[in-house]
Amino acid sequence: MINDTVVELSRWQFAATALYHFLFVPLTLGLTVFLAALETVYVVTGKQIYKEMTQFWAKLLLINFALGVATGLTMEFEFGTNWSFYSGFVGDIFGAPLAVEGLMAFFMESTMIGLMIFGWDRLSRGQHLIVTYLVALGSNLSALWILVANGFMQDPQGAVFNPITMRMELESFSALIFSHDAQAKFVHTSIAGYVTAAIFVAGVSAFYLLKKRHLELARRSFRMATIFGVLSTIGVITLGDALGFIGAHAQPAKIAAMEAMWETEKAPAPFNLAAWPNQDKQENSWAIQIPYLLTPLLTHTMDTELPGIKNLIAHNAERIKNGIPAVEALKKLSSNPNDAAALAQFKAHEPDLGYGFLVQRYAPNQDVSQATEANIAQAAQDTIPDVFAIYWVFRIMVALAFLMLAFFILAVIYSLRNEVEKHPWFLKFSLWLIPVPFLACEMGWLTAELGRQPWTVYNLLPTWMSASSHSVQYMVFSLIGFVGLYTIFILIEMYLMVRAIKQGPDQHDAHPTPSSGSLGGSVLASGAAPVHAKALIVDSTNKEV
Amino acid sequence: MKLFGWFALFFLLAMIVIFLAIILGDAAPWYFAWIIGTGFLILTSAAAGMLFDEQEDEAAHPQKST
Repeated sequence: MINDTVVELSRWQFAATALYHFLFVPLTLGLTVFLAALETVYVVTGKQIYKEMTQFWAKLLLINFALGVATGLTMEFEFGTNWSFYSGFVGDIFGAPLAVEGLMAFFMESTMIGLMIFGWDRLSRGQHLIVTYLVALGSNLSALWILVANGFMQDPQGAVFNPITMRMELESFSALIFSHDAQAKFVHTSIAGYVTAAIFVAGVSAFYLLKKRHLELARRSFRMATIFGVLSTIGVITLGDALGFIGAHAQPAKIAAMEAMWETEKAPAPFNLAAWPNQDKQENSWAIQIPYLLTPLLTHTMDTELPGIKNLIAHNAERIKNGIPAVEALKKLSSNPNDAAALAQFKAHEPDLGYGFLVQRYAPNQDVSQATEANIAQAAQDTIPDVFAIYWVFRIMVALAFLMLAFFILAVIYSLRNEVEKHPWFLKFSLWLIPVPFLACEMGWLTAELGRQPWTVYNLLPTWMSASSHSVQYMVFSLIGFVGLYTIFILIEMYLMVRAIKQGPDQHDAHPTPSSGSLGGSVLASGAAPVHAKALIVDSTNKEV
Repeated sequence: MKLFGWFALFFLLAMIVIFLAIILGDAAPWYFAWIIGTGFLILTSAAAGMLFDEQEDEAAHPQKST
């Protein structure tokens, strides 16, 4: 028997580690691309200030990257330790993108980031620029493969279930990587990282402008970050719309929950701007609505009907009934793989296999053939995720996105007019805005993953049967351990970041010396050289392409 | 020879971009949008930095602009 507490603790553990990890990821995704822009200016113009800017922001990237790797590695192992049934069921599909991520993207990113940090005096300007571009490409390809794997969980494409081996098998790799959900989610996540980096750079630059320190770096960084940010924010909102459009077709229960839409409304349906969903009563206690807005937002048409939660529950109850014979047939096939009648029965009910698994949780002795109407009704209710949580985390994310867009528009105007320093309140606001994109990214992740419930693989494998059979004590111990350890990581990150920001950029040309030291820029760029040693280091990196 | 090398490099890049436009544009529109969009973002941000320098130069030497 599967212990529900263990499943819940496994979910909490994965959610905790993923959310901690996702505090580091967006900044890496965006800052690597921003560094590429900075270094492009350095290579094109030859101006030393842009090299110093690149090195300074690269130092902050390195802190973030190191701790991001430390928190990310454990997650891949969690699939095996805490979600062993899931790993066995979809390992053939899910494992492939994860393996490619490690072998291709992560190795490339890790190798190139070393060259980028330590290669300033060993590579020509052109070579170093290529390396920086490869760091940006590697970090984003890393996200690509992770999100291809996640895309399969949201909208399983390119795989079939083999009733003989009882496993999912990969049928089309191109269908897997070109899944619309994976595509839109990758671009949405990647660009959300750009927005995070833009806010981070603008905020730190605002800090310097307020303190009247490192003004040359701060003014240029602020300008570039705000342009980078305003375009990225428009992109992230556009891709959010694309994800909603895709979700309206692939995950109707998630979309209905995100919009707290209990009834199937006549098209064009109203948009619940703010509401207080009550899942027990299946209604909104109150709602502020904008008429006719939801249908065009989600479907890009005015006449497509969107199913409400109550309709989805009724529809899913029918799918559960249709899935029960598929589960029964599987049981027969497990004892006799040559049973042609069982195979035919399975094929006839295969599309609803996952729904049959849903009711197995409530059926007496987990035998679906004994499932009652009450069991089916209970399982059908499970097909709707937590409406209140999803509705509000989604709205917080969207509100924060528009807040950042407004900030960037104002910041671009001030920066282009060269009057941002005349508005100290705005600089302070920029600084205090730094946590906002991180919060928005966390909210986005919660929307995507809470909305996927009750499935680990949408419509195929329920969460309740995906976990490993650990003891409750083991799960509590490891959960507390991970949360404690990762909290320490966050504190270390914040300490190192604040220290590096207070220390500021390395002033290469402020103390030029005639000697030609062999230390070069590598130690300097890494931030590891003591301040008194930096005066001895000669900048010998102005090599031509 | 160097000029020819640059020509060959950019010609190759153009071919790759056209190939990607045809293949990715059909099968993977959002991936294609990401490639184009990220390149556009990098170049626009870089241009913003250069514009800042131009504005600084102009402010320091206003006779240049006349």
